[in-house]
Amino acid sequence: MTIILISCSKSNTGSTPPPNNGGTDETLVNIGTNIIVPSYQQLSTNAATLDAAVSAFNTNPTLTTLADAQNAFKSAYKSWAAVSEFEFGPATDLFLTTHFTNAFPTDTVTIINNINGASYAIDGLGNYAAQGFPAIDYLLFAYGNDAALARFSTNANASGAKQYLATLTSSLKTKSAAVLNKWSASGGNYLDKFNKATGVDAGSSLSLLVNALLLDFDVNLQNYKIGIPIGLYGPSVLPKSPTKVEGYYSGLSSQLLIAQVQACQNIYLGGSGSGLDDKVAATNAQKGEGTLNNAMKSQWATLITKMQALPEPLSAGVENESPAINDAFTEVRKMTVMLKVDMSSALGVKISFQDDDGD
Amino acid sequence: MGTNFLTRYRHIAPLAVFRIAFGAVLFYSTLRFISKGWVYDFFIKPKFHFPFFGFEWLQPLNGAYMYALYILMAIAALFICIGLFYRVAACIFLLCFGFAELIDKTYYLNHYYLVTILSVLLILVPANRYFSVDVLRKPSLEVTRIPSWMIDIFKLQLCIIYFFAGLSKLTADWLLQAMPLGIWLPAKSDIPVIGPLLSQHWAAYFFSWAGALFDLSVPFLLLNKRTRPVGYLLVLIFHTLTAILFQIGMFPYIMISATLIFFSEDFHLRIVNKIKSLFINRQESTSYDIFLPAQTRIDRFVMLLLACHFLIQLLMPVRFLLYPGKLLWTEEGYRFSWRVMLMEKSGAAFFYVKDPSSGKKFEVNSSNFLTPYQERMMETQPDMMLQYAHILHREYERQGMDDPEITVQSYVSLNGSGSRLYIDSTINLANQKESWFGHKSWILPFVDKRK
Repeated sequence: MTIILISCSKSNTGSTPPPNNGGTDETLVNIGTNIIVPSYQQLSTNAATLDAAVSAFNTNPTLTTLADAQNAFKSAYKSWAAVSEFEFGPATDLFLTTHFTNAFPTDTVTIINNINGASYAIDGLGNYAAQGFPAIDYLLFAYGNDAALARFSTNANASGAKQYLATLTSSLKTKSAAVLNKWSASGGNYLDKFNKATGVDAGSSLSLLVNALLLDFDVNLQNYKIGIPIGLYGPSVLPKSPTKVEGYYSGLSSQLLIAQVQACQNIYLGGSGSGLDDKVAATNAQKGEGTLNNAMKSQWATLITKMQALPEPLSAGVENESPAINDAFTEVRKMTVMLKVDMSSALGVKISFQDDDGD
Repeated sequence: MGTNFLTRYRHIAPLAVFRIAFGAVLFYSTLRFISKGWVYDFFIKPKFHFPFFGFEWLQPLNGAYMYALYILMAIAALFICIGLFYRVAACIFLLCFGFAELIDKTYYLNHYYLVTILSVLLILVPANRYFSVDVLRKPSLEVTRIPSWMIDIFKLQLCIIYFFAGLSKLTADWLLQAMPLGIWLPAKSDIPVIGPLLSQHWAAYFFSWAGALFDLSVPFLLLNKRTRPVGYLLVLIFHTLTAILFQIGMFPYIMISATLIFFSEDFHLRIVNKIKSLFINRQESTSYDIFLPAQTRIDRFVMLLLACHFLIQLLMPVRFLLYPGKLLWTEEGYRFSWRVMLMEKSGAAFFYVKDPSSGKKFEVNSSNFLTPYQERMMETQPDMMLQYAHILHREYERQGMDDPEITVQSYVSLNGSGSRLYIDSTINLANQKESWFGHKSWILPFVDKRK
């Protein structure tokens, strides 16, 4: 008991105090300015490059232009892994969400119908799984390069395919640019709003950020990207489903997982500046024998190692029931508990907050 | 009999003012509830509910009828306030309110429990027989003197609440670790003026000790005539502070208005005259006394009822002693005990369904069954986890699975303890039963590593 008291008082005078300097929060400023905005910048740039590469490919579909488009796609998809954590504010307002941008497995039936002239609205109700990165993944990679090239050149409805692909990449480009603009100081300046909404209450930036990060990690990464493919997570008893991995056709799954975990770790550490780690450290929360902050830092590092050990392509690993995947899932699960239970309660941030009458 | 302190006759004004103030707060908070969209969020949107034990047969009404129920509740509250068809209004309010509360534990709040109790007590007293629309409607109803107990039961109830709230703070967590305020206050350091103070190490200790001392002493301060103004000032400060610091809704306002009843009858008569002067110019005060006629048999029955009620009030908060383990961890005996703001508790629960015939096991997506709010509350409360396991069992049986096994991997952190395994993950919860006061042996014991 006494030991705790002493260590608490020490840290409160010695190390970083809970960041609160004249109504601003260093951590928010750093994460907003040095992580979120640059990540959207990266996505926006890569989405524009992808759109241009697709346009070049459509004009002259060859194996070379296909490879260019495929490479541009890979870069763009990886940069998506660095913004999927920020599903609040501009991203939700402008539909740049996982629901519209990264719903997988992609809906190939609808894609083919759309190519064949069915009428559709890109963000329409039934179209969410026929767009975004998974749809492009399918169109540019499915069944090998020859089949992909044929889809846009010799196939009966090649022009429909071109048009649909162009619509998909252009939608991504437009949305990413719009979200970036909404965040930028020169545009909607949501960054300023983000920086100013201090505290931990519902609607505060920290609450939005932590909840969005957790949702992306828990639901998207843990359940959709790993849990469902390995047949552990679902509405009923399901067999393993290798085709349900993210980036199935391009085989990009494992790299996307690495990219997402790195992005999450970067948010936690705040890059080289103030991150969630500083906040957690300031609370002196404990985990096991050491501090929660140390436990979380080492868990992020473990996770990255586990993700790097994943088989490529992940779908083959799922098929062969690779133990590395179950291993990774176990470590992901530990992190989910740390984020959802330990970190949120140490910071006093409510998860899935519902306003009510209080006690 | 008239010399007995309970049956000694007092002026009715404190009761009338209480009726008006409490009715007004209920009216406002019911409208607030509707306007916040909670009728939909809490009762219409969820596919499943967590009814209280013994009330599993209750179901929310269909969409529009649920709104109708809340509107009826609001009207009843307004009628209580103005004292129109008072007893009927009080009964209707209690029925509607109690019904809504019993449907789902997710929304349990101490102050809802308080509202329920105070509405029961209001039904038992003739709070409408002075300064009410009923009296205007039927002047023969008016009385000015009622037996003292009709006012004292409210004071007793409020004293019980404060006292047990204080008693429940006398724990190592609260006093020695300053938990959970040690987590909550620094998180509020962005509040203007007092914010920077809150992140000080001593602040959590100061507020913890001051809070406990306040709860334990305020009943006596309010009861004693000489200390009453100080007591009420503390009530104002305490509840205003909690309203600023925490998301605590209507509770502070209910307590601030309800505790007015401790003041003298002169004080309340002045309030009555103030309100009267808003409506009529000429003051016509009843100069003579009208005593409430005694109805010996009914009064005796009511007295017996009240004796039972207060006995239960004294026993409920200590029933936790029947259970092994740490109260805040198991939450066995936690509700209905005036334990307010004692825990920072969060959890993560992963539910598994196993088909015994194939031996296959999978993890359930709880968001398919519960709202995020229900899920969050369920994740830290074992009895809700059990109910959820039964919901899953029923649903998967309906889908054709034969007697599915339901297990949970659950982690909880209590007052900064760090997450620990909460429930025995080998136990098939589908086979476990809820009981009145039985201990749930499948809750893993809390081991405090700090001691």
